[in-house]
Amino acid sequence: MTDAAVRNPVLQTPERKFHIIDTDVHERADLEALLPYLDPMWHKYITDFGWTPDRVLPFAQYAVGGLDRADSKLPDGRPAGCDYGLLRRQLLDEYDMDYAILTGWLDASALNGGWPEFKTGLMTAYNDWLIDQWLDKDERLMGSIHVNCHDPIGAAREIDRLGSHPKMAQVILYIGDKAWGDPFYHPIFEAAVRNNLPVGMHHSENSPTALGFHRYYIEWHTLVPQVFMSELVSLMFNGVFDKFPTLKVIMIEGGFTWVPHLMSRADQQYKQLRSEVPWVKRMPSQIIRDQVRFCTQPTEEMTLQRFMQIVEWMESDELLLFSTDYPHWDFDSPYEALPIGIPVELKRKIFAENAASTYTRLPALVG
Amino acid sequence: MKQVLCGKDELAPGEIRKAQVGPIPVVVIRARDGNLYALTAKCLHEGGPLEAGKLYEYMTPADEVGEYVPDKTCEVLKCPWHGYEYDIRTGCVIADPTRRLQQFSVREEGDDIVVELTPPKPEPAVAASV
Repeated sequence: MTDAAVRNPVLQTPERKFHIIDTDVHERADLEALLPYLDPMWHKYITDFGWTPDRVLPFAQYAVGGLDRADSKLPDGRPAGCDYGLLRRQLLDEYDMDYAILTGWLDASALNGGWPEFKTGLMTAYNDWLIDQWLDKDERLMGSIHVNCHDPIGAAREIDRLGSHPKMAQVILYIGDKAWGDPFYHPIFEAAVRNNLPVGMHHSENSPTALGFHRYYIEWHTLVPQVFMSELVSLMFNGVFDKFPTLKVIMIEGGFTWVPHLMSRADQQYKQLRSEVPWVKRMPSQIIRDQVRFCTQPTEEMTLQRFMQIVEWMESDELLLFSTDYPHWDFDSPYEALPIGIPVELKRKIFAENAASTYTRLPALVG
Repeated sequence: MKQVLCGKDELAPGEIRKAQVGPIPVVVIRARDGNLYALTAKCLHEGGPLEAGKLYEYMTPADEVGEYVPDKTCEVLKCPWHGYEYDIRTGCVIADPTRRLQQFSVREEGDDIVVELTPPKPEPAVAASV
């Protein structure tokens, strides 16, 4: 029996393994490492012109290790997420994980829109680097197809190029300041559906609050859920879920305690203002239950009673997918992040079964 | 149960070291003033390994926005994961002093630093709080 099994005695039985699928794990590359995978015509943008990803956040991450867990940074000074061996030891083996979905580092969708063709090419390079350097190394690692939202046709082409890859679990978009319900972006969702892939949406250092970036880091980090609310409202009321009824969207690194409020408020608006958006054919809360999922990290400390109230208000036990955000500083431990005492069957859904039914590309869980 | 951690000259002011004393992981801290403190090495939030944390000065509560008054006589151990802050003298969470890491006895004996799974003596100072 593994250490992880010992630490989950209530959940682990001889007859049935307790599965864990981590839906948010960050690998990292430096730009130089991508050059062998980048079309030579774009090399000069990095090697000669000195392009680097634009970063809008006016703060550093206010944590001992900056963006990373201090104990996950490499001894040679490289940032966390650069080394497969350490990731395997600190995450995959430590928690006896079945699968971890890599969600990346460099994503053009969160950047400003300039040089769209170069950035589309850079995403192609990143995806090929990801397959070569990570996905081929461990059967437990699954990947995300990174695309440039500012070039929706190019993004769709990239999704079609890799859409049948057996280890690509989703298309991913990092959130900047664009509301993706706009029909301009619909080719991305159309391509995802065409390839039977869900679309993950991930917070970024370029995600603003409703009022920009404020004066202090604590303000920005408190307000992270705002940008997820904006994206979700945009997708719902611009008819994305009606146009693509088989589409699944996963909100990654936005937490979940805000979801009941949004369901309630959006339903109320729909009752009052539906005729403005007649292409929306279901109550927003129903759209969410049918087509949207939420990764748990970053969780807030709460009692079991409060947690169960949130699940009850969502009126579904299928919406939450466990995530750690390894190796970043606000990593959530599978053993400690959620309240003690969650009913076993609900815990099994949150830790694995809901992810397994959302990420259909994942191999079946055994045991 | 007691255990020799290291030589007394091997833990300089501002340094942190982990000791496994029986079943308990303990973090031993040499404060800037030379005093030694020993606390449970597992963060009360999600179990982050406190030996990988870092010491910072305590920031006293301020009256005005933009006013920073560090208190260098009080050091704070910040968790390497989510940044929970602990008063090293008491083990209390700075933002919520009702929560407290267990403290242990640590002292110099001859040329060594020795940790013991007993409460520290004398009793710790009053916890800092926001």
